[in-house]
Amino acid sequence: MVETVRRVKENALSLTFLVLFLLALGGQAVAGLLQFNDQQVAEGAEPVSLARFVLSSSFAVDVAENWQSEYLQFFLFIMLTVWLVQKGSPESKEPGEEGAESDEEQRIGPHAGPDSPRWARAEGMRLWLLSNSLGMVMGAVFLLSWLAQSVAGQAAYNAERLSDLRDPVTWGSYVTSAEFWNRSLQNWQSELLAVLSMVVLSIYLRQRGSPESKPVGAPHASTGVEG
Amino acid sequence: MRKPLVVLALVLVPVSAATGCAVDTRSPARAAERFHAAISAHQEAAACAMLTRQTAEKLPDRGQTCADALKELGLGPGGGVTAVSVWGDEAQVRLRGDTLFLRHFSDGWRISAAGCSPVRDLPYECEVED
Repeated sequence: MVETVRRVKENALSLTFLVLFLLALGGQAVAGLLQFNDQQVAEGAEPVSLARFVLSSSFAVDVAENWQSEYLQFFLFIMLTVWLVQKGSPESKEPGEEGAESDEEQRIGPHAGPDSPRWARAEGMRLWLLSNSLGMVMGAVFLLSWLAQSVAGQAAYNAERLSDLRDPVTWGSYVTSAEFWNRSLQNWQSELLAVLSMVVLSIYLRQRGSPESKPVGAPHASTGVEG
Repeated sequence: MRKPLVVLALVLVPVSAATGCAVDTRSPARAAERFHAAISAHQEAAACAMLTRQTAEKLPDRGQTCADALKELGLGPGGGVTAVSVWGDEAQVRLRGDTLFLRHFSDGWRISAAGCSPVRDLPYECEVED
């Protein structure tokens, strides 16, 4: 019991986000179903069950379009902060530290410690994979979610077009359509604004106790210091 | 590497479900053919029974039955099926002599529009529609 409590406390941040994610996804499914069925009835179609709705292209495109933009946001944040800095931001490295950094700073190869991951001591492909795994996974999930958005989006869009007595479109036409880019860009702009806000506001504003903020008394000009 | 695989599965499962790996194109095609067969056989009442409720209600003018209205329209012969598109609960069936739009209900496919002609990328103009 004591061990379980300890493990929960040690993983409280990810567990809390997991629970919040599932609650929000469940809420989206229920609200989406009510909206979908309202439209179905207005169009003279039959309402669908929750199970059928969560497997529909309509639900899938709404989920995927948000996922892709979140993973794009983190992918860009991870990759751009390797090479670009923001003086005064705790999200940035110090000016002058741009780049992939030395093996010593990164504790790889002969500089790896006894507690370093095994692949940090390796050479060649394994070391390269570990060194870039976070960016690659975020980038891959972004691309897969975006692909999912395009496939589910085409299905939902074509169902709507047929209902409007219009011809369905091919996947190629869909991914160059205003509908697809409107869905993508409206999510991207909000994610980019959120990152911009975090990078800039954290120069001047503080949140006591949060590692995402500088210590309250840290000077505005100090960079890369997390509280 | 377990977490990325879970994320991957979460992405791919709804998509494969949403895209419908095995789309049934035969059922809407048969419904479209049956509709035109009923009209050719002058069984307009039977053809009306294959329409969606909204379409069947909208079709007749005041004092007319659905069958009277269908008879008056005199839709031409449908001919064989040339193409079928199914997306979700909506379908389009192209016959040699007509294009029909159908909607899926719990009792099967029903015709929501028939006697349709394309108008560039605008909605089809249909003799029968909801």
